[in-house]
Amino acid sequence: MSDTTPVTSAWAGAVPRLAARGLVHRFGDTSALAGVDVDLADGESLAVMGPSGSGKSTLLHVLAGILVPTSGTVALRGLEVQALSEKERSLLRRRRYGFVFQLGQLLSELSALENVALPAMLTGASRADAQASAGQWLAALGLAGAEGRRPGELSGGQAQRVAVARALITRPEVVFADEPTGSLDQATGHDVMQVLRDATRAVGASLVVVTHDADVAAWCDRRIDVRDGRVVAPGSTTGGGAGPRPGERDAGVLPAHLGAARVADVFGAGGAR
Amino acid sequence: MSVNPVLALAPRLQRAGGRDSRTTTLLAVTAFAVSTALTLSVVAALLGFVARADRPTTALEREVGGFYVILAVTATILLVVPLLTLGGAAARLGVARRDARLAALRLLGATPREVVGLTLVETALQGLAGAVVGTVLYGALLPVWTQVPFQGRPFTAGELWVGVPVVLLAWLVVPLLAAVSGAVSLRRVVVSPLGVAQRAARPRLRAVRAVVVVVAMGFFMIVSGIGGMPLAAFVAFLLGGLALAFLTMNAVGPWVLGLLGRLRLRTARTPAQLLAARRLLDDPRATWRVVGGLGLASFVAGCLAVVPTMASTGGGGDQDALLTADILTGALLTLTITFLLAAVSAGIAQAASVLDRRRELSLARLAGVPAELFDEARRREVLVPLLVVSVGSALAALVMFFPLFGMAAVTAPQGLLLLVGSLTVGVALVVAATEVTRPLLHRVLADTVVRAD
Repeated sequence: MSDTTPVTSAWAGAVPRLAARGLVHRFGDTSALAGVDVDLADGESLAVMGPSGSGKSTLLHVLAGILVPTSGTVALRGLEVQALSEKERSLLRRRRYGFVFQLGQLLSELSALENVALPAMLTGASRADAQASAGQWLAALGLAGAEGRRPGELSGGQAQRVAVARALITRPEVVFADEPTGSLDQATGHDVMQVLRDATRAVGASLVVVTHDADVAAWCDRRIDVRDGRVVAPGSTTGGGAGPRPGERDAGVLPAHLGAARVADVFGAGGAR
Repeated sequence: MSVNPVLALAPRLQRAGGRDSRTTTLLAVTAFAVSTALTLSVVAALLGFVARADRPTTALEREVGGFYVILAVTATILLVVPLLTLGGAAARLGVARRDARLAALRLLGATPREVVGLTLVETALQGLAGAVVGTVLYGALLPVWTQVPFQGRPFTAGELWVGVPVVLLAWLVVPLLAAVSGAVSLRRVVVSPLGVAQRAARPRLRAVRAVVVVVAMGFFMIVSGIGGMPLAAFVAFLLGGLALAFLTMNAVGPWVLGLLGRLRLRTARTPAQLLAARRLLDDPRATWRVVGGLGLASFVAGCLAVVPTMASTGGGGDQDALLTADILTGALLTLTITFLLAAVSAGIAQAASVLDRRRELSLARLAGVPAELFDEARRREVLVPLLVVSVGSALAALVMFFPLFGMAAVTAPQGLLLLVGSLTVGVALVVAATEVTRPLLHRVLADTVVRAD
């Protein structure tokens, strides 16, 4: 599979980056998804909210090409993801997507630096290049000095930052985050969400965050609510009941360690691709 | 007497774990069964030789019966460590799967004592099941052992029946050892309820371990080179030396593997090489548990490489020919059993390591990390240390026996053939056993619906 998309750049503005239509997914007799449409624009961040069992994680898995929907389509810039083979979807996830999970996603035997470098190595970068790029990412996310630490030696917030760096090192088109702050206290959770949103924006990726926490959803541009496998309340987060605390969301202030210049350094460093 | 409510959970936890729990229980019981069956067989042979020496019926048994007992004791010593290794691996396997639920129990407020108690009960139950199945297996193996001629006539099934007391003893000792082994590997859960999720680097092993091996080998070589020692003293020294060599190897093996890991980490270029090197460096003791059995077996093979030499230096006569043939038979049997034990240990240890990492493995798979990476890393993490350890151990044995037998021990073609042949078979067996864990790895990787729990 090539990295070039089947849709020319002239279309990019008109066509959503990720477009899902009529998604239905059944596990046996249960319908986890009962007809969902989702669009994700270039650089947009989308929160998917819902209680346990609402189908929000299934939606993420289907959008990310982990699960193939029972029916419906998922198109990444016109490329029909659900029509790809298992192997092609795995390659797609590795090359064009990034993932941040709740906990336990870092390989425990590798150092923070090696964990971040791994996806770059998997897409063909040499170990030296991948680790140099990984070092810049860690520094940009405030983890300078922690490169040699193992996942077990990192705090929850640090581990999630490492996970964010790992998701972004290949400069993916879409980042999927499944309860990325679920194992963190509120302050650390906000910290991680800010890093996740800002760093994702900095590489020009779109972001999908699955969460049951309205505070986390408030970090995103837009929010949809899923109940019983259907989208019940599409719209902007600013219109929702649990709105953002203005100072936190709208200021757009990067933490000092994630200043625009710093991210541009990483961006311009000629990463792993 | 009322049963503690947490301990009463034991059978339920056993049942509630689903497929993985059943797999690990099956693997653990199999391992306990194999070690019980082989232990009983070895003890049976030992008791058989002792009985024949006590009540000799032939001239051979009267004159060299005692020597046969010494050889049988030697073989038993050689098998003790691999047998214990297998039992320990089985106990750890069970614990690996239960870690998470036990940590949850700790967080819910179960006391350390209750958590340990629960593990003891669970692992001991598996040990007991394994011991019972192993006894049946031992019974099934009897017709095989009665085909093997010793001292000119095969043992009868009656001679090889260990008796009810020994069987009952096995049913007591196997669960006991299993429970102790399980409790030791559970320490980390008990120390901290969160300990399971937090994996930190372990302290490095010290180079002192290398000094130990050099001193021990040198001592053995010097003393065995001294002539004119009384036979009894010499035999005692030989047996003690072997036991010491085993202990030494267990001390030095992990250190050598750690060294190998550091070297490979520096030179790793691909993700699989990096992962394999890190795993080796991360916990050399864990890798030693996988390949150490074969290392010890290779050491035995190295020692046995001198047997054909001994045979050719002995005088003529039917009795000597019989003795030599018996020594070779015994040597090959010991070697075969050691290799089998090493292979089963390796398979079990890899299964435990896959289950230990199940969450991170399946999440990595979701993120698009190819299954082939983990397959290759899994193979690499065993194969390279395996070759280094087995060839190294065999060479160490050859070096140790050099003063005793001189060049003949090294150059006698039959001895070397035996060595190379058995090493090849042993490595192939271990590799085959670790391949058995491939379906388990792929099932863990294919477990796509990982809930963010």
